[in-house]
Amino acid sequence: MTVAADQHNEGKRDVTLRVFRLNPQVDSKPYYDDYTIPVERGITVLRALNYIKENIDASISYRVFCQAGICGSCGMRINGISKLACTTQVWDELSKCREEGIIKIEPLRNMPLIKDLIVDMDPLVAKMKHYSNWVDSTMPEAEMGKKEFLVSEEEFLRYDKATDCILCASCVSECSILRANKDYVSPAVLLKSYRMNADSRDGIHDIRLAELVQDHGVWDCTHCYRCQETCVKSIPIMDAIHGIREDAIESRGMKDTAGSKHAEAFMSDISKKGKLVEATLPFRTNGVAWTVKNLLPMAVKMILKRRTPPPPPLVKSSKGIKQFRAEFKEMSEHVKQDHKTHNK
Amino acid sequence: MKRYAYYLSCINESMTKELDRSIALWQKDLGIELVHLHESTCCGGSNLDYVSPKHFALVNARNIAHAEKMGLDLVVSCNTCLMTIRTAKKKLDASPELRAEVNEILKAEGLEYRGTSEVRHLLWVLIDDVGLDAIKAKVKVPLSQYRIAPFYGCHILRPSTVLGKDNPLDPTSLDQLIEALGGNTIPYTHKNRCCGFHTLLVAEEESLSVAAEALGEAIDEKADFIVTPCPLCHTVLDGYQAKALKQADIHGSIPVLHLSEMVGLALGYTAKELGVKRHIVS
Repeated sequence: MTVAADQHNEGKRDVTLRVFRLNPQVDSKPYYDDYTIPVERGITVLRALNYIKENIDASISYRVFCQAGICGSCGMRINGISKLACTTQVWDELSKCREEGIIKIEPLRNMPLIKDLIVDMDPLVAKMKHYSNWVDSTMPEAEMGKKEFLVSEEEFLRYDKATDCILCASCVSECSILRANKDYVSPAVLLKSYRMNADSRDGIHDIRLAELVQDHGVWDCTHCYRCQETCVKSIPIMDAIHGIREDAIESRGMKDTAGSKHAEAFMSDISKKGKLVEATLPFRTNGVAWTVKNLLPMAVKMILKRRTPPPPPLVKSSKGIKQFRAEFKEMSEHVKQDHKTHNK
Repeated sequence: MKRYAYYLSCINESMTKELDRSIALWQKDLGIELVHLHESTCCGGSNLDYVSPKHFALVNARNIAHAEKMGLDLVVSCNTCLMTIRTAKKKLDASPELRAEVNEILKAEGLEYRGTSEVRHLLWVLIDDVGLDAIKAKVKVPLSQYRIAPFYGCHILRPSTVLGKDNPLDPTSLDQLIEALGGNTIPYTHKNRCCGFHTLLVAEEESLSVAAEALGEAIDEKADFIVTPCPLCHTVLDGYQAKALKQADIHGSIPVLHLSEMVGLALGYTAKELGVKRHIVS
């Protein structure tokens, strides 16, 4: 009996939700409201919020729909991390609180705030439109509905995971580059773009790709992996971003960008010396004028500290470079063969 | 003396030479020997994997195979090299076809990738192999006078499916090392954030804005220095510091130490010996 009673006690406790509040029509600045409520083990953050709204304060605002991790409406920051309130257990959050027993609830970042925990999704939707995040069918209109459009399993596996995205915008909220520039394409839109570009039914691959390699596009991702790490559906978003880059490098006419040149410099340097030639990397990425304008003041400081990378002739090749070059070249032959087979 | 094959990162051979030099000073004090792998080539720096996935697999299978030939784990002191080589290892270990393809090529050099050597960061070796108690016992000059901001960087944490040592949302390994060396860590919300390195040449303004946030918090919190286990993070946070802070209109400055220099200081080596004077911000 005692054991059962203890378990019961362990399964219920008072928890405080510290909720971000801001009604821009009334408040001059945001504040936090604390709501302390009895919570049983097994209750989600969303249900706790529902309890507060129904029993304590009807004025708190948040989005909610399916309550089952499907619709992506209830994305918010819980103890600092963007996730879905409906799939997050209050109990699991207790060990992550900065202040004992207080769970902090805040709106997603990198999107304009409407009220309390509700953010404006319109800018994200506008980006999805800008990058044509839909399949633009190659099937003539007259045939639609009359003919099947078959997708092979092999093809589907390439974007199966990407189709799991529910547009909860957690990745948008966590993105390092969006924090710095709201015009950046954003991880969710890159993921969708990759998925559409890999679809054989789509007819605007080249147009979409041409837009993706422009400023604020795919090359501005800084590889921090925050999007992937917080994705509520565990989608490997970086694979999609790298997939677009790989595509851009292979496609003719898409290579004339700083990002592409920078990436290809690695390939070129490794093939020659096995080492990166850092001294000329800025020139090869952005040209002489940019480099002189942007890096000269720093170069002077670096020279004074003897920190400048060595000029190309002084970059020592890796030991056994001759053999390495032969191996690298042999792999290039494999890649050529792969392309031939792929194109057949 | 426990031995490891030490991967030579491009940046440590050129811009951040003080990193490898400082390790060389103290490695024997902690009972480890990092054997320089002069055959190692650039890992591809988180770029080669999409420029040419096959070359990426070959290059890193070869890097790891050299360590395997010596029967040693491969130790890395750059986060991006760590993440990149571990990503390649994961792909190689999962695909017998890919392994066979690269091994067919590596045969000419008498190498074979078998997947027997682990790829580890120097920080992990210090904590898991040397041990915090053993490190504590070797400290000659405890860092007790310093308030230290631990900046982990991305690629020692994320993707956790490839790294997996620390919880990427709340990493502790670097904090533990600082404490073992007698130092005090500050609460630092940017500890697991990005430095912006990988877009410095492509989206400089954005990169500097990312860096300025991390620098700004450490300055606000009155940390004495930032420490990082990654030479790429160091290059941004130290080398680009003035430019980043100017762009963000933040006043002040803060020194940034390599992990290896911080260890060296606690083991009794001078800042001059460790190469701290080579930094842009001193």
